[in-house]
Amino acid sequence: MCVGLSARVVRVSEGSALVDASGARREVSAQLVADLEPGDYVMVHAGAAIAKITEDDTKQADDLMEEFLA
Amino acid sequence: MDLRGKTVTIAHGAGGKQTAELIAQVFKAHFSNPYFTADDAAVLPAPEGRIAMTTDGFIVSPRFFRGGNIGKLSICGTVNDLSCMGAEPLYLTCAFVIEEGFPFEQLEKIVSSMEMTAKEAGVRIVAGDTKVAGKGQVDGVFITTTGVGRIMDNVQTSGSFARPGDSVLVTGDIGRHGCCILLERDEYGIEAEVSSDCAPLWNSVKAVLGKVPEVHVIRDATRGGVGTVLYEIAQESDTGVLLEREFIPVDPAVRGVTDMLGLDPMYLACEGTLVMVVAQEKTQEVLRILQTQKYTHNCAVIGHITESEKGRVVMRTAIGTQTYLPQPGNELLPRIC
Amino acid sequence: MTDSGKENKKSAVEKAVEILSTYDGPKIRIMEVCGTHTHEIFRQGIRSLLPENISLISGPGCPVCVTPVSFIDEAVMLALDKGCTILTFGDLVRVPGSEKSLQTARGEGAIVKVVYSPADAQVYALEHPDEETVFLSVGFETTTPSSCIALEQAIAHGLKNFSLLCANKTMPAAYRAMMDTTDVYLYPGHVCAIQGLSECRQMLELGMSGVVAGFTAPELLTALAVAVRKTEEGRPFLVNCYPRVVTEEGSPEARALVHRYMQPCDSRWRGIGVLKNSGLTLRPEYADYDARKKYNLPGIEGKEAKLCRCGQVLQGAITPKDCPLFGKVCTPEHPVGACMVSSEGACSAFYLYRK
Repeated sequence: MCVGLSARVVRVSEGSALVDASGARREVSAQLVADLEPGDYVMVHAGAAIAKITEDDTKQADDLMEEFLA
Repeated sequence: MDLRGKTVTIAHGAGGKQTAELIAQVFKAHFSNPYFTADDAAVLPAPEGRIAMTTDGFIVSPRFFRGGNIGKLSICGTVNDLSCMGAEPLYLTCAFVIEEGFPFEQLEKIVSSMEMTAKEAGVRIVAGDTKVAGKGQVDGVFITTTGVGRIMDNVQTSGSFARPGDSVLVTGDIGRHGCCILLERDEYGIEAEVSSDCAPLWNSVKAVLGKVPEVHVIRDATRGGVGTVLYEIAQESDTGVLLEREFIPVDPAVRGVTDMLGLDPMYLACEGTLVMVVAQEKTQEVLRILQTQKYTHNCAVIGHITESEKGRVVMRTAIGTQTYLPQPGNELLPRIC
Repeated sequence: MTDSGKENKKSAVEKAVEILSTYDGPKIRIMEVCGTHTHEIFRQGIRSLLPENISLISGPGCPVCVTPVSFIDEAVMLALDKGCTILTFGDLVRVPGSEKSLQTARGEGAIVKVVYSPADAQVYALEHPDEETVFLSVGFETTTPSSCIALEQAIAHGLKNFSLLCANKTMPAAYRAMMDTTDVYLYPGHVCAIQGLSECRQMLELGMSGVVAGFTAPELLTALAVAVRKTEEGRPFLVNCYPRVVTEEGSPEARALVHRYMQPCDSRWRGIGVLKNSGLTLRPEYADYDARKKYNLPGIEGKEAKLCRCGQVLQGAITPKDCPLFGKVCTPEHPVGACMVSSEGACSAFYLYRK
């Protein structure tokens, strides 16, 4: 229901953030995520950063394996 | 000649003195060659053997974009269509429909890049036509080009010639023109360094066919992109196509833009990228030749033709599963879901 | 940091694939609530890895699919009768209304602009003071905050030519309504990114199992594998398989923003009916920005196409192939029901990837 795009925060200013997804850049709202900083990775949906991304999907899969699927 | 501030008026299309002036100042200045005369039709030596002939109309908004303009596009489109049939582009005609009030300076730029592109492709512009339409009746300028080419000996390409086992190649990374135009229209506030791939590909094709005349299919992946062309080939040849998703070259910035908008670069137009279907044993040779050519060094084998799944395009994913490439269809709209 | 498709994850993915493909226990029904999951599962070919006793049910989590016909009728009326400029996500343009889609209306002179975000719609209104603009505010918890951001900006600019036609929906009522049709929910990762895990925990208290899932191939595979493993243990469970994005508390900022401008209302879901407190509407103090009130829209019934069985498809009661219209009268080029329009609708996915 909600396509998300992971992107890197380049710049933050007054409630908005410039994000970069492999060279595609766009201003998005930074209102929904507290304390965004340049260098953070965020999930972007419909023009707003909706969450910080704290690790990559590979690491996450490995962790899940270890905990639940070993 | 100073064209600054001058605009095209209805009088320029009326056939009188001002039409002659427009032709002299803009078209003749650039398209000059022995065949381009004031007579009603160009008189040309007939080439030997088989000829290929094609026509295409060009409307693009914006008219000037990163990597080209409507003029360059109008030459590349027709040159590439001829090239796909293994035909050396010889002669081209062009018909302009120009909106009243269109700046001469822009027209001059467009015509000048047509000249340069035609020169690069080795094709001569031998006849032209100009009509002026009232303000609002057309969007700036529309160009139609028609081309004639001589088909190389021993060459026969067709969308129906793909055979099971053949390799499927693209001559460059895909979807760049479509992505570039999307960005230039600036409707979605996205910025990225993406240039159109718009380029005349005859020299690349000639180099390939000179060594490997038995290429089965060549098709340019314009409107509808590579995905659409592959479905056409699968259906016309009554075969399947199996692609390896990870082998398909996509410029990272194009990937970023399409991911942002929920689009698939497989359906975005290319204007300087061809799909080729080649016998498996000739694949490496064709790749090596393409790699040495100006516009095709990003070429890649992206899959092969199959006996099964007739009429369909199947994609092998990074996790080893197979899935269908959705059939192309509707207007590309960005999506949130 | 990148998503999917790179080296080194083979082991985890392979293990997940092994668990899924060799499962030979009792039948497990897993509902991918979210349409983006449906879409990605097809795109990644994941269904082909599953044995027959793991069945995936495509759920109601596509805002386009569950938006009732009457909503499109209202938008068409605003465009054609009231002369409004319609600003919308691309997804809605081709959805059929009772008589017309927005695309058809555009052919009849309606101005319909596709935007990337609600905030862009607000900017359009600002830049076109002569046009009365209406943004079609659809979507679930993930998307609704963006509509509120746009509204907040419109208010800050004192815009008088901007309003919202709301059909925003919330998931908990649907979670409850559908729980008998499935054993495990594959919870929508990006809804949970906003809402946190509390709503899933409430479902767990009702005995409903679920895993929160991301959208890349490794994420989908591991979430499905965890669902299977935990089901085998025999107790209701909730596992957050998308912790890199979904936290326990979600985004309190987003929820506060939505709460400021919107309030719950009963809402009609196409095919499912009216679910109590499953929608959001603008608070009365923002009535000036509510297109229904501003333009005095009449109550519209909306005629769904006869024979269209999107409703049952959305509830997982039938698969698209069981619908008499599927692939014959109803195709992505000529959609009859919304599930065929939306690229993440179950019918569209089944059609595009059909054998």
